[in-house]
Amino acid sequence: MKFKLAIITLVMICTQNIISQTTTVSGVVTDNLGNPLPGVTVLVEGVSKGASTDFDGNFSIDDVSASNTLVFSYVGMYTQNILVGSETKFDVVLLASAESLDEIVVVGYGSQSRAEVTGAIAVVGAEAVEALPVTNAESALQGRASGVTVASSGVPGSSPSVLIRGLGSIGNNTPLYVIDGVITGNLSGISPNDIESISVLKDASTTAVYGAQGSSGVILVTTKKGKNGQSKLDFNTYAGFQSVTKRYDVLGTIDYLKYAGELGVFPNRPLSTYTTDTDWQDEIFQDGFIQDYNLTYSGGSDTGSHLFSAEYLSQEGTLVNTGYERYSFRANSSAKFGKVTIGETMSISFGKQNPELNSGGRSVIEHAIKSAPYLQVYNSNNLGGFQGPSSSADGQDAENPVRVQTHPDAVNKTLGIVGNVYAELEIIEGLNFKTLVGLDYYTYDNSNFISSYSDDSVEGSNTNFQDYASISRNNGYGQTIMFTNSLVYNKTLADVHNFELLALVEKFESKSYSRSASSRNYVTNEVDQLSNSFSNISSGSSETNKLGYLGRVNYNYDGKYIASASYRRDASSRFGANKRWSNFYSGSVGWNIAKESFLEDTAFSTLKLRASYGTVGSDGIGDYQYAPTLTDGFEYPIDGAVAVGVTADGGSNQDLQWESKEIINVGLDVGLFNEKITAAFEYYKNTSDDLLIYIPSVLSSGIHAGSLPVNAGSVETSGFEVSLGYNDYEGDFTWSANLNLGTSKNEVISLGGRDDITGSPYKLGGGNITRSIVGEPLFHFYGLVSDGIYRTQEEVEAVLTGNPGQSTVQPGDIRFKDLNNDGFINSDDRAIIGNPFPDLTYGFNFDANYKHFDFNFFVTGVSGNEIFNTNTYDLVGGANRLFNISTEYNENRWSASNPEGTEPRALGAPQNNGVSDRFVEDGSYARLKNISLGYSLSEGFLGDYVSKLRFYLSAQNLITITDYSGLDPEIGGGEFGIDRGNYPQPKSIILGLQVSF
Amino acid sequence: MKKYKLILTVLLGAFLIGSCSTDDLELTNPNQLSPDTFFSNESQVQSAVNAAYANLQPFGLYGRLVFYMMDNMSHEQSGNGQQEGDKVTFADFSFDSSLPSIQDYWDGCFRGINKANFVISNSELINSLPESELSTKNKAKYIGEARFLRAHYYWLLINRFGKLPIYLGDGSDDPQGQPMSSKEDVINLIIEDLTYASANLLDKGEEVRGRVNKGAAQATLGKVLLYQESYGPALAAFKSMSGYALEADYYDNFMEETEHGVESIFEIEYDVALGTDQFWWSPVNGLGPNHATKRGQDYGVLDWFNVYPSDDLVAEFEAGDKRFAGSFYVVGDTYNNGANTFKESDFAENGGNIRPVAWKKYQNYYQRASENGDSGINVKVIRYADVLLMMAECENEVGTQATAIGYINQVRARAEVPALATSLTKQAVFDAIVHERKVELNGEQVRFDDMIRWGIVASELADTNFQSGKNELWPIPDQEISTNANMSSADQNPGY
Repeated sequence: MKFKLAIITLVMICTQNIISQTTTVSGVVTDNLGNPLPGVTVLVEGVSKGASTDFDGNFSIDDVSASNTLVFSYVGMYTQNILVGSETKFDVVLLASAESLDEIVVVGYGSQSRAEVTGAIAVVGAEAVEALPVTNAESALQGRASGVTVASSGVPGSSPSVLIRGLGSIGNNTPLYVIDGVITGNLSGISPNDIESISVLKDASTTAVYGAQGSSGVILVTTKKGKNGQSKLDFNTYAGFQSVTKRYDVLGTIDYLKYAGELGVFPNRPLSTYTTDTDWQDEIFQDGFIQDYNLTYSGGSDTGSHLFSAEYLSQEGTLVNTGYERYSFRANSSAKFGKVTIGETMSISFGKQNPELNSGGRSVIEHAIKSAPYLQVYNSNNLGGFQGPSSSADGQDAENPVRVQTHPDAVNKTLGIVGNVYAELEIIEGLNFKTLVGLDYYTYDNSNFISSYSDDSVEGSNTNFQDYASISRNNGYGQTIMFTNSLVYNKTLADVHNFELLALVEKFESKSYSRSASSRNYVTNEVDQLSNSFSNISSGSSETNKLGYLGRVNYNYDGKYIASASYRRDASSRFGANKRWSNFYSGSVGWNIAKESFLEDTAFSTLKLRASYGTVGSDGIGDYQYAPTLTDGFEYPIDGAVAVGVTADGGSNQDLQWESKEIINVGLDVGLFNEKITAAFEYYKNTSDDLLIYIPSVLSSGIHAGSLPVNAGSVETSGFEVSLGYNDYEGDFTWSANLNLGTSKNEVISLGGRDDITGSPYKLGGGNITRSIVGEPLFHFYGLVSDGIYRTQEEVEAVLTGNPGQSTVQPGDIRFKDLNNDGFINSDDRAIIGNPFPDLTYGFNFDANYKHFDFNFFVTGVSGNEIFNTNTYDLVGGANRLFNISTEYNENRWSASNPEGTEPRALGAPQNNGVSDRFVEDGSYARLKNISLGYSLSEGFLGDYVSKLRFYLSAQNLITITDYSGLDPEIGGGEFGIDRGNYPQPKSIILGLQVSF
Repeated sequence: MKKYKLILTVLLGAFLIGSCSTDDLELTNPNQLSPDTFFSNESQVQSAVNAAYANLQPFGLYGRLVFYMMDNMSHEQSGNGQQEGDKVTFADFSFDSSLPSIQDYWDGCFRGINKANFVISNSELINSLPESELSTKNKAKYIGEARFLRAHYYWLLINRFGKLPIYLGDGSDDPQGQPMSSKEDVINLIIEDLTYASANLLDKGEEVRGRVNKGAAQATLGKVLLYQESYGPALAAFKSMSGYALEADYYDNFMEETEHGVESIFEIEYDVALGTDQFWWSPVNGLGPNHATKRGQDYGVLDWFNVYPSDDLVAEFEAGDKRFAGSFYVVGDTYNNGANTFKESDFAENGGNIRPVAWKKYQNYYQRASENGDSGINVKVIRYADVLLMMAECENEVGTQATAIGYINQVRARAEVPALATSLTKQAVFDAIVHERKVELNGEQVRFDDMIRWGIVASELADTNFQSGKNELWPIPDQEISTNANMSSADQNPGY
């Protein structure tokens, strides 16, 4: 409205003729990326005269004299003053002003001005998401938001694990994902290009509105919408190569044979076999081609907006026969009819993954380490065409990793639909009613076909073979529908009392269904379909319903003093009637000190102190766990037929209730010199209670479930977060740097009376790797502590006094510390040998622009964590039988001829290879996540239709600084800090193009 | 206008609250049965009993570990170079309380006990079923099966661990875990269960193949009593058996086609045709098709060949003993229904030495060119030759040497080795039994326990790492001590 008035006024002014000796000035106003800025006010200083830029950023003002100064101003941009002088043409670049940091921040069920935020929210904007080519939205968060830890696996199409403020629960630590108001399981179906912003909600004042689902933090994704006044077509693409360059150094054929001989295991292949020297790791890794295309059309007006986008991503894995392909489509639109706004966001994506495979529960990388180097990869005489070992001929049975990964035909297909439809009605001024229906729907269809094979049918006997074709199909769907109805009332009293009141009711209905079937075909490899031969089928379904009521009040006094409070009451079908409902609340206060008169005209452009306190919860445990059930499906052959058995499941708990978490957060925001320097500091303390977890049942109770769902114990997690920023937006050379870091330290306060909770099974033959006990961090590594190598029998006897004359432990074995001094080394001598969770997570980002060039440098890292590397077990011959080993171990192992060896003897005491500090390493790393150089072509070169054209070259994961000996210190996947031959992240070199029309 | 808006607001507010009904929060699990109405007909009773059998099969017990661990500990076999470390620990007695296979054995047995208790503790419900639904005789028979199985699982446990927590499933069990009970208490419970089973199970001829019968209960009861040196009652239990005899051909005990023969008393059922897909899925839980053992592939000379009969065992055989050819293959033997012949290179162990013999007992080579990972041959837990030799042992203690020798000679006659003179001394008869059991029951998981109860284990295993006073028992698994509130490391067995 103001706009129209201004234009009318301007037009009226322009028709007058006042001064002679004047000239007409014109030009284009753009932002620093070259995007034209429509609606920029251009005023002639001191004269009531001016203009506004059109849709292409053009302006023109008549009758301007050389002594006049033009003032270019635009919301969110630094105002620029330019003396006209002799110039008539002005191409002006406006830079985002610090005031734009006072951006609108998306929060739960609404949005807020940054200045009014009293909680802990980190925002990652579209620029940061687009800055480096990431294939999933979670990766865009890595290193961008303080207190957020992202760990990716290299498997194409896999979702990284995300933790907000570290570990706070023994059970579920996954944050809640909300896309445009719709609660979803993860972000895998969303194209990063479609993201407008990601808000990470970290404290109670921001997450308590999600009550029962907010305990591990909330990640709010807002997708792009069409912008008012702009019709725009964007085309983004990139392509490049990815590779894994690091290898474990293992023995070649000659050394391997020597080692085998020393073990007394002589392979008996024809002599010509030993001329082969296969590097199995080179055989399983490849350079993978990655390409991505994204087309977005958007536009908008006063009566509505629209955005359509389509994306195609194709990624070849760096592990042979892995890859991911995704098509995704999006349509976001809204329309306004008087006081009613109706809109929707809808995305659909199709994914197709060739997954990483394993065999016998062992990763491909483990097989590659262990395989005999003198064996060929392929042998057309064998069924299936591969060559593998025979126990009898080779004395070992590591499977041919290439066959494991490439012989099966394994495809995982997914379909995901996420979207909402909403209507908003302004009832009276300031009072809005909104109703939203959200949908999260997915299907999956995983098929695996393995034709019959025999890796050594010609030369030896059958060790690794399958004499039938196996077919398996697992598919299913999941569907969540949520209804949210809310009333929001905004009111300002006496110009200074600003209120926002929210009342909301939300219903959540979720179901899933799964079906799995497998069969064998002994007759042919030609048919990859299921049949009734050796068939095995099952299905299952599950339902969860939730209901929540929310009330929230936000108040501020003239933007200076801020307070807010919320109350949410939630129910979940996962709990029995007596424990079903729970209440969650929060309160927060903030003080914008910079707005006080005593700070006026000082260097402080922002100084805000804020604090919040509240409770959130979780129902993160399986469905129906409160009700006792029976389990069927036991089998035993009676009289030639299967007799089916039924027994009590035993794994239920009627008293199961909500997990809760109390969160305290204190923060300070500082901005200096008009936000040239920014800083934010946070301290938090989260105390969880009644943690939902399955604990192992008493072993001898023999209950079928093997575990019981319980509310057991409490964990306290605390830490600091710091973000520092520097922005230089003046001159041809502009740059900004941002550092964010977060610490997190957790301590178990209680385990509900239990001594410990152990987890993460070790190799075949050896206990658990992790343990949690009161007073220590969650999931720490727990094992024996080594103290060098026994050199003599006397040294052995000196330690093992409780076991004199024993013969299992000999010189050359590891001297473990007898921590309880009982003369035995056993499980009572275990100690804490590492913590998988980092003390510190950080990211450092540097951006610079010089004329047409832009440059980005982005480092992420963690420090203070340990990794348990199970590959080391294989590299040092931990299975105590012949497999390939590392060169380093081979050279340093103790033997009669190498009595000074620092590594234990081959085929030593089994204890050498149990869980101990021998396999624990420092997991700290700093990684050059991205380095890129871009070039934008100048306006004139592009003609009328192209408003932007940018090329860039970028490299990811180019340099990693770490002491970790494994392939990748960033361990994704479900377990924290345990490297089980994990698929490493690739290095990539990418060439990209961005065009806007 | 204002009024209209007010009404609208109230309506929307009402919609806000009213749109959600709390009935949706009450859901029942569609995937599983509810216990409320169970034990209402015979098939439900039977299925609860079936479940108690299912725990015998997985690889934590008879599917793999029972034969592998026991044969390694008794040193009836030696290991090839590639044998996995956790199996080697049983040959060199280096196992400790963290070893998963020991935990699996403990876990598997107690899961079986829990399922048997599910039947036994619902005896009242079962007995209240109308006669037309389930006859009194069959009610007692089903409960008898459950009690037999409970006794069997406790028996497997007590021999390995020496003391146990006892669970009866009658409501007296502490949900935080039962404390340790003495061996005596466990044995008394076993005897009580087996006595009930002996009285109420059906005869072999009357019961279907696969379910335990009266003879199985009587033989097991006798064996338990013999281990307690209650020779008289043991002998009485054995003598109450009827309808059993020796197979004419020793090897008929170890093939698929001749299962449940006249010598068979208690077998663990395997049947590859019924499915094997769940084999690796869990070593203990008994769900799904687990109908195979790994023995063929583990022991098979043409396959993994992880182990072979020890020199000591082979040397025990007398010349001309027919059981040699029923237990071992030698170079030149045919296999695969006579189509193939073993050559010397087939018997090469790692390092190139040619083994004199390889396992034949329970192998599938007689009918196949190679093992394929799944063996469907049943495991004989007790057969009549074992009973005869146990009767001889009892007779030697409380009866006459002549009668004892008579039993031994029945076994020897089939092996076509010379009969023993009937004039032997008690000690000589005992020595003969030691020899005879070692040969007759080789590779059948009885020798380690025999050596312990006879007190000869330390001398017989003198050349191994066996430590007397320690390795007779296994350690109580760590996981038990950490999950059971009524157990502490003070309950650990000596030496662990």
